[in-house]
Amino acid sequence: MATSEPPPKLFVCELCGLSSPFSYYGQKPPNTRAIVLLEECFVTKDPFSPDKEKFLILGSTCSVCSKCVCAGADCSLFYTKRFCVQCVNKHLDQFPHQIRAELAKKSCSCPCLTLRARSGRSLRADQ
Amino acid sequence: ESRSWDWDSPRCRAELDEIFFRQHDYIQSGTPEHKDFWAFFERFQRFKTKREMSGYDLGLPTDYDARYKINLSVCTKDIEERLGKQHKGGRSSSGPGRQEIAECRLSYLHFLDFTQKQSFNKLAKLRREQKNLPIFQYKGRIIELVRRHPVVVVAGDTGCGKSTQVPQYLLSAGFTQIACTQPRRIACISLAKRVSFESLNQYGSKVGYQIRFETTRTTATKLIFLTEGLLLRQIQQDGELSQYQVLIVDEVHERHLHCDFLLGVLRTLLENRSDLRLILMSATINIKLFSNYFNSAPVLQVPGRLFPIQVTYRPISPEEQVSRSEKLDPRPYLRILQGIDQRYPPEERGDLLIFLSGVTEISTIQEACQIYATHTRRWIILPLHSTLSLAQQDKVFDIAPPGVRKCIISTNIAETSVTIDGVRFVVDSKVKEMSYDPKAKMQRLQEFWISRASSEQRKGRAGRTGPGVCYRLYAESDYDAFAPYPVPEIHRVALDMKSMELGDPLSFVFIDPPPAASIQTAVTYLKDQGALNSQGELTTIGTLLAQLPVDVVIKMLVLGSMFNLVEPVLTIAAALSVQSPFLRSSQQNPDCATARQHLHSNQGDPFTLLNTFNAWQVKGERGGGSRKWCRRRGLEEQRLYEMVNLRRQFKDLLKSQGLLESEDGASSSGSRGQRMERLSERRKLHQLKRDHEQQESSKRKVLRLEEGQEDSSGSDTEDRGRQKKDKEKAGHDLDIQEVKFKLRHDVSELHDAVSACQDLSSRKQALLKLLVCRGLYPQLALPDEHNTARKDSDQVFHTKNKQGVVIHPTSVFANDPEVLHVPEDDGRETKKDSSKHQLLAFVTLLETNKPYLTNCVRVPALQTLLLVANSVDSNADCSRLVVDGWLELEFKLPEEALKILSTALSLRAEWERFLLHQLGHSSVQESSTRKVSRKDLEKLSDGLVRFLHYTEVSYSIRRLTALQTQNLYIGCQAEETTFSGVNALFPGVEAKPDPIKGGLCVTSFFNYNCLSDSRDLYSDCLRAFWTCPNCDLYMPLTPLERMQHEATCRPPGEQQQPEESVSAKTNSSMSSLTRVYHCDICDKDLTLTSTEILKHKRQ
Ligand SMILES: [Zn+2]
Ligand SMILES: [Zn+2]
Repeated sequence: MATSEPPPKLFVCELCGLSSPFSYYGQKPPNTRAIVLLEECFVTKDPFSPDKEKFLILGSTCSVCSKCVCAGADCSLFYTKRFCVQCVNKHLDQFPHQIRAELAKKSCSCPCLTLRARSGRSLRADQ
Repeated sequence: ESRSWDWDSPRCRAELDEIFFRQHDYIQSGTPEHKDFWAFFERFQRFKTKREMSGYDLGLPTDYDARYKINLSVCTKDIEERLGKQHKGGRSSSGPGRQEIAECRLSYLHFLDFTQKQSFNKLAKLRREQKNLPIFQYKGRIIELVRRHPVVVVAGDTGCGKSTQVPQYLLSAGFTQIACTQPRRIACISLAKRVSFESLNQYGSKVGYQIRFETTRTTATKLIFLTEGLLLRQIQQDGELSQYQVLIVDEVHERHLHCDFLLGVLRTLLENRSDLRLILMSATINIKLFSNYFNSAPVLQVPGRLFPIQVTYRPISPEEQVSRSEKLDPRPYLRILQGIDQRYPPEERGDLLIFLSGVTEISTIQEACQIYATHTRRWIILPLHSTLSLAQQDKVFDIAPPGVRKCIISTNIAETSVTIDGVRFVVDSKVKEMSYDPKAKMQRLQEFWISRASSEQRKGRAGRTGPGVCYRLYAESDYDAFAPYPVPEIHRVALDMKSMELGDPLSFVFIDPPPAASIQTAVTYLKDQGALNSQGELTTIGTLLAQLPVDVVIKMLVLGSMFNLVEPVLTIAAALSVQSPFLRSSQQNPDCATARQHLHSNQGDPFTLLNTFNAWQVKGERGGGSRKWCRRRGLEEQRLYEMVNLRRQFKDLLKSQGLLESEDGASSSGSRGQRMERLSERRKLHQLKRDHEQQESSKRKVLRLEEGQEDSSGSDTEDRGRQKKDKEKAGHDLDIQEVKFKLRHDVSELHDAVSACQDLSSRKQALLKLLVCRGLYPQLALPDEHNTARKDSDQVFHTKNKQGVVIHPTSVFANDPEVLHVPEDDGRETKKDSSKHQLLAFVTLLETNKPYLTNCVRVPALQTLLLVANSVDSNADCSRLVVDGWLELEFKLPEEALKILSTALSLRAEWERFLLHQLGHSSVQESSTRKVSRKDLEKLSDGLVRFLHYTEVSYSIRRLTALQTQNLYIGCQAEETTFSGVNALFPGVEAKPDPIKGGLCVTSFFNYNCLSDSRDLYSDCLRAFWTCPNCDLYMPLTPLERMQHEATCRPPGEQQQPEESVSAKTNSSMSSLTRVYHCDICDKDLTLTSTEILKHKRQ
């Protein structure tokens, strides 16, 4: 049995509290061959894949306010850079209308955003 | 040079006008357009200021591109080439152009982004679910309590999440070396799977399980789920249990004796390990009991999340009660289905779960419900019990189409071991449970009052996904009368207590002591099994059994490892430990019967299983071919795979106990090329397995309404239905069993194993039967003497504790009982005498509607009894023997009886010597036992085989009646019975008078002259002239004297007792019967034999 070892570094989203140990922070996760990240990310091995080399991006820091945020659509948005939802809302006018439309659609389909966040709305990519 | 610039001043504006709006410019100063511009300018400036006020420019590109939403990029070949400037010139015109590559890249990026989101969502969902569990808010508190107290009780009801979350909380708090015990093996596996998934380690080994012989534990394992029994085993090996830092004992409220015992042991263990942390997890009943037992340990109570369940008592009316012989009356059950249909609209989903006792009851109710279901088209009836094929079991997890409910009719397997979501209604009846009946000493299915704990557990099954209803087919007063928890089986615990040197099991401090009578029964059981000797001390076999997690088959394995019969014994032991691969439903199928014919062995069911396994292995090709092969013969393929796995585990076990030499890495040899080939094949197989696991993760099918409508219990129909699917699949689908199999086993090695046990010589077969029988002992049955005159279906057998048992219809002897009959004409004088009597050794006595013997082997009666029985008693001339107090054998010719008896005694002594040596307990004994050579072993097995095959003694055999067993023995004799100079008649054994039976204990199992018919007065007459075949001794000897001589006298060729001459031995054994007798009349101490004493008295 494994005896005690240094506790793993923990990633915690400052908005939703999601937490998970991460194994790498940066733009070039190990063993990912040709993949390069366009931002500095908290990365872990994808726990849902049996393949050791598959990685999972947990989140990164907001380019405006430097909050540590998860990659979930309820907490952040990537558009050339990472923005936390709070900063997105503050600077909404600077985003192209396509992005704004997406965000609007998201918040219109359900009037109560907090409930949504709890019940786990699935991401667009999932649909 | 500071200049002031004011946009609003006309001067400044005029200066700009000079630059932009001159007379010949597009817009001229002073025109309305010019005025419009300055107005626009002001608005534009305001807009810009606002933007600057709100922060800063995000610097986003002006044009939208979906690609900007993706946070990764990939360096592909084309980019590499471009960067390396290695333009390979004329790329062939048919290849992709710049545009196609760009298009493909875009899709690829989106795909990568998609997979990221997919995994992330899984993670987010998982975390959300964990957060929503009632126990989540206690996480910090639990960790703190565990840090500060040696023992903590966590109490929470079903659904609070304690079993999955508490271990994870401890892991996350930095605890390692955590063990979590479970009462059931299946829970260990499923919890380990769940927790490793939740702790994001499903493909690692941070979380593992250990059951029976199977473990997923590695050096990286920090949390292990294991059974209570296994933890006890580990305590036996390491009293400090130093390998663990934290112990979690789950489900303590179930109050299995094992668990109670474990708690008792841990209580003492904690005194020596102040650093050890113990967490007891329980339902919210009787918490005080546990807290108090551990010095008022702190209790943390967590509310559950079970939905409200309405309980309805519907006792079965007397006219619908089942009498012993009748079938279960389905009406009470049908009324519940009807009631549900009337009360609940079909749109309201929710399935029904009915608990019944056994397969027979299930098919009765299933039949009746099916008629109702076919009629209403609102139900799908599904049985659930462990003898179903796995595919059929799996159906209960599938989903019913809209408007239709599943009705699952199950044994208590669904009580805790299998969780079916979507159940809203539960029917609970007074279920019969399979249990060990200590009085009758057998497994039997009896109508037991179930415990309150398990009926609560059943009720809870209705409230997992929403509010539910529980119908109890008994009165509320019945419920109150139930015992609080199930009555446990105690014998294993008694064995543990013995081997852990905890002293007298009757004095152990249990949290709640079990009845003394059941402990007493357990000790008796262990004595019968040969695990304890008559003084209640652990025997060599017992010591070994205590170290191992299973009982009966282990005895066989140990015995087999000695005689070079490991391979077939491994197969038989594995086959007897899993469910029969023969599908019940295929029994009536004539095609299956024909195809199976050549697998049958009329030696017995274990041999049929051995043949089947070997034939399947030889078949070689697995996968589709194997499935077909199995289907043709009506075999459940899965069971054969289970046998392969178990077989391997048994083998590892024997190796780990030093009972089997490990082969010297034959599989790692071979040329470098071969090794590489194997390696790459393994890699491929691993990949296949991973792919499969990924696909498999969540597939729930929608059931057809017709499901289960065909044959009620058969899996044939299901097979037929599936056949087509299988065929479709076979082409492209991989066979995961095959893959797993190849990963785990070296196929060529297995083939060698098979060839080692194929075509057993009759010699080996006889030996193998003897070993199997010794393993199964004392499970023996005697054929009724009138069987020859009876129909095949009316053959009757008797065991020690039960008369009139029958052979289970699945046994080979059910169809072929003649092989058990004594041959008609072999020149016998009376009808009962023969040298060909046989007994059946069996694995279980299963009492359902009749008492059935299952898994039987036939063995020659006399020889086997003399070689394996725990107790053989004789009369003075040994013409009458009573074995284990219930079988009486009578011989026509006492000389023959004597001869065979003395052969048996020396064979057994020799066998025991080997066994001791084999088990490594010989060191204390004389050093002569070290000389156990292969040659000696050959001689012993030769001797045993000769004894089994060529003993041609005519005798009769019968079961003693109760009355006869009462006056069986002479009993304790009045006179002082101090034998003088009682020499060792047999190595290591002292002959002494038996205080209860009377007579003389010659060996641990043989008592001479204790049967009450012995005519001691005339024992002089029993002296007969006799010539020793070995040493030419010729003199009148009593039977005992003769045996004593034979035991020590060897043929001239094999003199091995140099320290004593043969004649000296003879003399000493002659005198060993004498004892000091004090005659009150002549007031003298005389050294006399018992006969002489009697003579003296008369004078
Ligand atoms: Zn978040
Ligand atoms: Zn921000």
